[in-house]
Amino acid sequence: MNKRLSLFTRCLILFLLVWLFLRFFIGGVWSVPLPASVIAMYVVLILLAILVHVSVEDDRFREFLRPIKETLIDDDKKIRRIALGTLIPLVLLGFTFSKVSTKADPPAALRTAHPAPPAELKYGDKVIGLTQEVENPFRHLEKDDKEAFKAHAENGRRVYYQNCFYCHGDDLDGEGHFAHGLNPLPANFQDPGIIPNFQESFFFWRISKGGPGLPPAATPWDSAMPVWEDHLTEEEIWDVIIFLSEYTGYKPRTFGEADH
Amino acid sequence: MSRPSVKKSLSICFAGFLLFPAIISSPVFAEGNSAPAASEAGKALYIDKCAHCHGVEGAGDGSAADNLVPRPRDFTSGLYKIRSTESGNLPTDQDLFEVISNGMPGSSMPAWEGLLNEDERWSLVAQIKTYFEGFEGALPRVIDLSGKVPYSEESIAKGKEFYAQLGCVECHGVLGRGDGTSAPDLTDEWGFRTWPANMEHSWNYRGGSTTEDIFKRFIGGIAGSPMPAFVSSFRVGLTDAEAERIIALEDKDEMTEEEEAEYTELEEKAYEYEDLMLRIEEGDEITPEEQKKLDVAMKPIFEKSWHLANYVKSLGSEGRPPAAVGDKVLRSQYRLGELPGLNDAAWGEIEDTSYFPLVGQVIIEPRQFNPSLDSVTAKSFYNDNEVAFLFSWDDRTRTLPQQNDETGETVEDAIAIQFPVKVPTSPLDPKPYFIWGDRRLPVYLWHWKVSEANRITEMNAKGIGKVSVQASQNQIETEAVYEDGRYRLWTKRALRTDDKNDLKFEPGVFIPIAFSAWDGSNGDVNTKRAISSWYTFVLDPVPSNRRFVYPPVVALISVGVLFGLRGSVRRRESANST
Repeated sequence: MNKRLSLFTRCLILFLLVWLFLRFFIGGVWSVPLPASVIAMYVVLILLAILVHVSVEDDRFREFLRPIKETLIDDDKKIRRIALGTLIPLVLLGFTFSKVSTKADPPAALRTAHPAPPAELKYGDKVIGLTQEVENPFRHLEKDDKEAFKAHAENGRRVYYQNCFYCHGDDLDGEGHFAHGLNPLPANFQDPGIIPNFQESFFFWRISKGGPGLPPAATPWDSAMPVWEDHLTEEEIWDVIIFLSEYTGYKPRTFGEADH
Repeated sequence: MSRPSVKKSLSICFAGFLLFPAIISSPVFAEGNSAPAASEAGKALYIDKCAHCHGVEGAGDGSAADNLVPRPRDFTSGLYKIRSTESGNLPTDQDLFEVISNGMPGSSMPAWEGLLNEDERWSLVAQIKTYFEGFEGALPRVIDLSGKVPYSEESIAKGKEFYAQLGCVECHGVLGRGDGTSAPDLTDEWGFRTWPANMEHSWNYRGGSTTEDIFKRFIGGIAGSPMPAFVSSFRVGLTDAEAERIIALEDKDEMTEEEEAEYTELEEKAYEYEDLMLRIEEGDEITPEEQKKLDVAMKPIFEKSWHLANYVKSLGSEGRPPAAVGDKVLRSQYRLGELPGLNDAAWGEIEDTSYFPLVGQVIIEPRQFNPSLDSVTAKSFYNDNEVAFLFSWDDRTRTLPQQNDETGETVEDAIAIQFPVKVPTSPLDPKPYFIWGDRRLPVYLWHWKVSEANRITEMNAKGIGKVSVQASQNQIETEAVYEDGRYRLWTKRALRTDDKNDLKFEPGVFIPIAFSAWDGSNGDVNTKRAISSWYTFVLDPVPSNRRFVYPPVVALISVGVLFGLRGSVRRRESANST
């Protein structure tokens, strides 16, 4: 008898190894569990690859099928035949049972965290275009009048700790003492992916129009972000934006940068 | 008459002792009062991270302070709640460092560990100490933790007894939910309203929830709050029987001569210890013999405190329960026949109580920055025609309609359970705005208030201020009780109604649910209230009988396929070989 493992067994082992790797190594050792759908996708891919590999040549395909045939009809494989013939239906039985009787999962939340801002927004009687270069009216003070700029940042600090820190946190990290009761979670301004990725006009839009001002893809009905134009003046909003960047050290994007 | 004067002077002495900080046990002085010297860097850091609450001069008067309960600490007062030191002592540097590092759960003080490095946190300790002169040269007496009584059922049972005996009930309530009779009237040193701890919500303990943390609060008290140092509840040096005897004698209108002699003797015995403690307090040296005597007298008091700490620990839980999302979603369970009523034991069959955290409504004026209600919990059953809910929430006070002192508005305890009128069918389907809906998508509300405890009012809302009471009210059976600091509200409604403004309950459909709750004694009314986000709940579908049909069918088919395969391979092989 051939000492080498049959082609079928080798394919089976390869297939199992790939599955184990995806399911347990990545999930367990690297601790970044893959979603079941992604695993399924890879598993189907590797299955197709194996089938293509074994079926390109007739001989190889025959060789691949040989153990299956033998198990099905050979007299000396009777034990294996009975074992597999019992096991396969039983496994299917259990699998179907578990599928039919599991509880329905609550619907997954689908949400765009940072939607594109509208072209313009109305603030009181004023229309502020957001696609043009709308700058923080006090940003220029950073160069022109450092003292005045500092005063705006200080005012922004006052506004922040009187209004925002309940949710966005003492350290602007989104971990305020109300955050545990909110879904979606408050934005974390210490996250390097937040402030540097958006222009100041974006923050002005998000602050002034709050949750209800979001487009449907961003589930405006869930967001607990207030409509701050109801509580704050325009200047206070620009000041708090200055405070966010001064405190965290992150600079909002400017319109000059490449649009990516 | 000499008798009353002796009694009086001793009583005054005792009262005086109560006012003075209590004392105790062998002196263990704070080791490692190791904060570095105050520095410019520490001051700058304080101004950047702390001053907006605690004030530029440390007086607890930063710009955010007025909106916070509890208010930020006034460092100029030298009064610190969370200490490892005896009553009347300042905290150790390590205490200050730990509060800065771990924050104060249940308040707005965050944990700075992970946000500031160790040196930075120590520089803040040094800065804070500059606001109170008394820190200079202070050697606080640290509470001796060496006599710790291990956590056991026996110790818990003893602690429970002391809990009732020592008057804890007056503020913290019979079951420790902070609902004692004096709970509504408590104020702190500065005259601000303060709340006794709810011991079941141990995740809100400002100074941590380990048994040691709890023990330290007993022995040291919580300075500036009505929580006394535990030792002031005892006559140090007297046995329980002797202490009771003194009270009994004092209550008498007239004493016989023997009784008078007995009284004087007991008071003198107690006075010996009180004098010792006063001398310690005043910084006098006491002899090792005297210290030893005091140690012996304190031992039973410490032991009781450990039992009590074990009991209080047993009331709490390990951290805040997870919110009702994912596998904790509220699932209404199917039940054949009549649904259980308010006090039915059947509710116990549902093991998991779904927990819905509440936060302040800070979106629409007037806002509530300091909600006093932590959460709502819920369970549910349904049958072929009806659905029943059991909601419960902890409120330290039962507030019937009354006028709020500050606003003049009529306030009372209430809750509203909110559903959409139209249930979204996919995750992309819009929901109504989470606070009482909006113009396009209205919500369906069950509004309950304590003044009409056995009635739910059905309402619809298209936003705050756009609320309408339904003209035709369904028969929603309702029953509610308030017991030991907890409301329990039971409701039952038909699954389907004829009103198009009602929600229809369909098994297997995930239905958004949200809550608003009002604590009248916290000034909650209208928009000023506690709210929750949208959560979901589902009438868990009855396990289908298909689960006994499909699997065997699949198994049979697979057997068939295997036989078929074997047959066809055989035929082909025999055809090949011939």
